[in-house]
Order: sequence, then structure tokens, then C-alpha cells
Amino acid sequence: MIKRILIFVFLQLIFLSAGQAQDLLLSGYARTYIGALTTGENDYSILQNTFSIDFEHSRDNVYFNVNPFLYHYSDDKLELGFRQAYMDFYFDSFDIRLGKQQIIWGKADGVFITDIVSPKDMREFLLPDFNEIRIGVTALKFDYYFGNNTIEFVWIPVFTATQMADNNSIWSVSPDLSLAYGYDYSEADVQDKLENSEFFAKYSMLSSAIDFEIIAAYSWDDDPTYHSKKIFNPILGQVDSVVLQPQYHRLTTFGGSFSTTLGPIVLRGEGAGYSGKYFMSENPSLVNGTEKKDYLHYLFGVDYSIGDLKLSSQFIQQTILDYNDYLLNDEFENTLTFLATMDFLRETLNVELFSYIGLNDGDALIRPKITYDYVDGLEMQFGANLFLGDEGQFGTFDKNDMIYTKLKYSF
Amino acid sequence: MKITRIIIFSAVFLTATAASIAQNNITGNQIIENVYNRDSGEDITSDLTMTLINSRGDTRVREIKQFGKDYGKEEKSIMFFLSPADVRNTSFMNWSYDEEGRDDDQWIYLPALKKVKRISSDSKSDYFMGSDFTYDDLGDRHPSEDTHKLIREEILDGEDCYVVESIPKEEDYMYSKTITWVIKDKWIGLKKEFYDEDGDHLKTLSVASHEKIDGYWTILNSNMHNVQKDHKTLMELSDVKINTGIEDRKFTERIMKRGL
Repeated sequence: MIKRILIFVFLQLIFLSAGQAQDLLLSGYARTYIGALTTGENDYSILQNTFSIDFEHSRDNVYFNVNPFLYHYSDDKLELGFRQAYMDFYFDSFDIRLGKQQIIWGKADGVFITDIVSPKDMREFLLPDFNEIRIGVTALKFDYYFGNNTIEFVWIPVFTATQMADNNSIWSVSPDLSLAYGYDYSEADVQDKLENSEFFAKYSMLSSAIDFEIIAAYSWDDDPTYHSKKIFNPILGQVDSVVLQPQYHRLTTFGGSFSTTLGPIVLRGEGAGYSGKYFMSENPSLVNGTEKKDYLHYLFGVDYSIGDLKLSSQFIQQTILDYNDYLLNDEFENTLTFLATMDFLRETLNVELFSYIGLNDGDALIRPKITYDYVDGLEMQFGANLFLGDEGQFGTFDKNDMIYTKLKYSF
Repeated sequence: MKITRIIIFSAVFLTATAASIAQNNITGNQIIENVYNRDSGEDITSDLTMTLINSRGDTRVREIKQFGKDYGKEEKSIMFFLSPADVRNTSFMNWSYDEEGRDDDQWIYLPALKKVKRISSDSKSDYFMGSDFTYDDLGDRHPSEDTHKLIREEILDGEDCYVVESIPKEEDYMYSKTITWVIKDKWIGLKKEFYDEDGDHLKTLSVASHEKIDGYWTILNSNMHNVQKDHKTLMELSDVKINTGIEDRKFTERIMKRGL
């Protein structure tokens, strides 16, 4: 009840301030999202109302943006947060952004390779809009510009981890272990200390011939590594279960991306090497069930059109260097993405098919959707999320096939 | 609504200046060359409002702030979408080149993705933001791409005009021919008819008002009517400023992301 009152007061303050402040720009959306599983007893997978609002104001060379959002669920659970809340300071040849912000890097679509600054909200896997998957980080961002070149530095003083699905969620992922297991979260914390800061740097250029980015980072792996502690059963005289302890580790990353055109085709590429990544292992000689390995992740993509049909495809490969067969991950993991989209009725009706295809396990996520702008700013969407296969990153959700509808009003 | 690719500045039909040439025995090709080679200033800033009207009379409005600059052999333009609400803060940048056969370079910034994305510029027959204008209708079609013939001279809306028929050299082009009414001395189009691949009348572009702004003739209101589907698009330019000395850094990734 107290939380509801606080939210009510908060919204009142928002509208009062919006009404009084001069030149305050206000935009946002309200959305209803209903999704139902098509397997089992057709339970609703999501019943969500969303309210998101952007406040913007600028004066001389200072700008601020605050984007509070509110999720309301069918059980009356409320979630209030700030997607972004930052200030910009503009100078002649450089800008400074300070505050909670989403920072997006790279040229890939729907894949995270050099895009490692903002962590992800994976509570509903990869299904939400990407703007909602990105978690804002409290950071100081400095951009220096010369010509069409940009040098960017980011300092994140406090680590923010990827939000994983709860263990009882239909989107939680169970580790592929032969023994019974439980969780111990006592180590799943990075203390708020200066020495635990994260640092990122990027050089980017946009030119007629090619656009490219080169990046480097000394950060934390946003995804936890599950260390395992073996439990010896004295009655059976053997190890019969493990306790999984999620922990975060330092990661050093170097990478880059490019985008160029070849006639009517856009070619894109992105790659990164990560040093310090931990992987789960079943090597019996290991105490904590993990091994530290260097790791590569890269992508090649093309965008092209056939008449009014716009197509895009990407091939993605992840490679663990110095591989051994004890590791739970495959040495090479290959994924394809495919996008086909077409507009009708003077661009008021859009039909889209997006899919991830896991080549190692023969699994896939197929996402057809139809979006219709009933009037300007009022969008109706009907779609499906179909998980194919029995295992792999998509096949593991085979029972989560769903159909959904969204009604979104933008203002 | 999807925004894919846009070409809009330096439209042959939109702005022109008076040129002093010998007008006796002028050919269709010379008339279109005069329109194409007009001096339209070093740079331009304007607000563009497009009103899309369907056959039932329903309207949808798109508002854009746009900037363009001529660098001699290269032109750069940038557009910021103001409405409808779901595309607000989207920006689009185009660099076009005089060099024959060289495609434009185009980028789009989508605020939901928070990144600038390079896009291909090949589909000039696509319609711009669901309007009745194709990208080629708005773009800088070179006179050498068509064969032009002066078919008559006549008075239209009180203006003394040349009437020029243009037939594309490319066989599969989206129009079989166009007929343009060019105002003598001003070298701007006052009306243009477009015929589809079967030779049937498809669209008519009519100019409702034009003014001399900062010494340059500028079309402020025009109407593209698709007579086959009975669609209309009203295009209105306002707050037009020419030769204000737009800085080069206006046409960069920095400004695409930052916005107006």
C-alpha cells in the first residue's frame, strides 16, 4: 500500500512539474501487453500494462532527460523504475553525459558482441523490445569529436549485473548437470568500491566508404558464472549433489565492428575477444567446477531488398579457445538470424518475421508479427514467439510457445 | 510506421532561381537542364509538413525539420522527425554526389535502438513515409536519365509555361513518361503528370504557392494526387531559410544522436 501511495505521489509530482516547467518536452507511451502460452493449459505468460514517459529540457548547452517507467501486472504487482535519468553538457568539440543511461555499441542486430556496456534484463529472455532489455547504468560518458571521428570514454563506478529470470520463472535456464543441485547466492555480489569500477573506450568513424568502431573494456562480466561446490554424502560415500554459487568476474575485451555498402547490399561485421571469461566444467579435478578461458564472438551480416521486401541475415559464431571436452559449452556455437519485413497500406501495416536459428542444436526462435497503425500514435500488434527444438538456447524454452497482442498509444 | 530511406533536398521541382538564357528555339533538354542546374543557394533550413489524405478523406500528418548544404560536388542533408509521436527523435542523414553512378550514403538513427545504422539507397521507387512521393520524385534525377521533348507552350495558373515530355531511357523505370509544366524565366515546375508503366495517368503534382525567399524561388505548397487510388499528399514548407551558414558538424553522427 505504501508503495502504491509513493507511486501515486511520484506521478502527481511528475505531472505538476510538467505543467509548470517552461519548455519541458514530454513524450512517452502507454501499452497493454497480453501473451498466452499455446502449450499446456494456455496459461497467460504475461499480462502487463506499461506507462513510460520521457521528460526533456535544454537550456543553452545543458540538456536533461528523465525516463521513468511503470509496469503493472495482473496480480497488481507494480514495478517502477528509471530507464534513463541523465544530464548532458555540450561543448564545442566534446560532450559529457552524467547519470543513468543506456549505452549501445556495435553494428549487430539482436546480438551482443561489442555491445557490453549496458547489461540486459533477461527476465523474459530476448522477447521485450530492445529498449526495455537494456538496463541503464550510472555512468560518466565523455565524447570527443573531430570531423566524422569520435573517441568515447565511459566510467561506470558501480557495477550493474544482467537481470536473470527467477528460478520459478518459465524463462529460467537450468544448468545441464548430471547431479542434483541447489543455489547459494552469498558470493553473487560486486561491492560498490572505486576499485570495482568499469572502464570502456571506443573510437568510431563514419565515412562515405565505411563506418567502423574499435573498442576496449576493462569491466565485469555482466552474466554470472555458476561455480559449483560438491556435496559429499557420507552415507552413500560419494558426491551426490552440488551447490551452485553465482559469481561475477573481471573481463577484458577488445573488439570492433564495421558497416559498409556494396551496391544495394549493406555488409556488417562485428567481433570481440574476451579474456577472463569463466565457463562451467565437469572436470573432476576442479574444485569449483569452472575454467577460465579466452573466448571469441563474431558476426557477419547482410541487409538487402527484393522489391519492397526488406531482408537481413546474420551468421554468428562463438569460439572457446584452448577448449577441452569437460566444458559444458560447445567449442563452437553457431547461430543464424533472419529478418524479413514489408510495409503495406502507405506504411501503416507492417508484416515482419524475425528468427534466431541455433545451428548446433537445431533449435530456433521464430517471431512473426503484424503491426497496424490504426491512427497516428496508436499501434496494434499481433504476434507469436515459437520455440523449436528440444535443447539449446532456444529449444530449452520449447514449452513456452506463445501468441500475444500489444496495444500501444504514443504521445 | 517505418522510415526506411529518404532523399529530399535539392529536389528539382522544389526550388529554382531565375536564369538568363536565350529562350528562342529552346529544346526540351535545355529546359530541364536549366531547372536542374539552377543556383539554389549554399544551404537551406526548413520545416516540412506532409498531410496524407486517403480516398475516404482520413488524414495523417508527418512533421520534419530539415537542413541541407551544398558542398559543390557533394550535398549533405539531415532530417529530424518531429511527429507522429512514435517516430519522434528519429533522424536521417543523406550524402549525395554529383559523380555519375555513385549511390548516396544514408544513415538512420532510431532512438529505440540508440544507434546510427547505415542503410542502402537503391530503392528510389519506394514511397517516402507512406506519402504519394517516391524518393525519386523528391530527389535529384539527372536530366541525362530521360529524353526530353518540348511539346507546347501554354499559360497555366497565369504563368507562361513550357510543357516538356520526359521519357526514361531505362526500360523498367517506374514511370513510362512524365509531363512537366516549367514556368518560363523562373525555371521551376508548376505541374507534373506521371504515367505508369502501362502508359496510364498515375499521379499529378500541382504547385499551390511559390515565393522568392532570400533571392531564390521556393515552392511552399504542393499537392501530389494519385488519381488511380485517389490518395493525396499535401507538402508544405515553412520557416524556409537560405544561406544561413549551416556548420559542417550539423551533418554528423553526433547531431543525428543529439537531435535538434
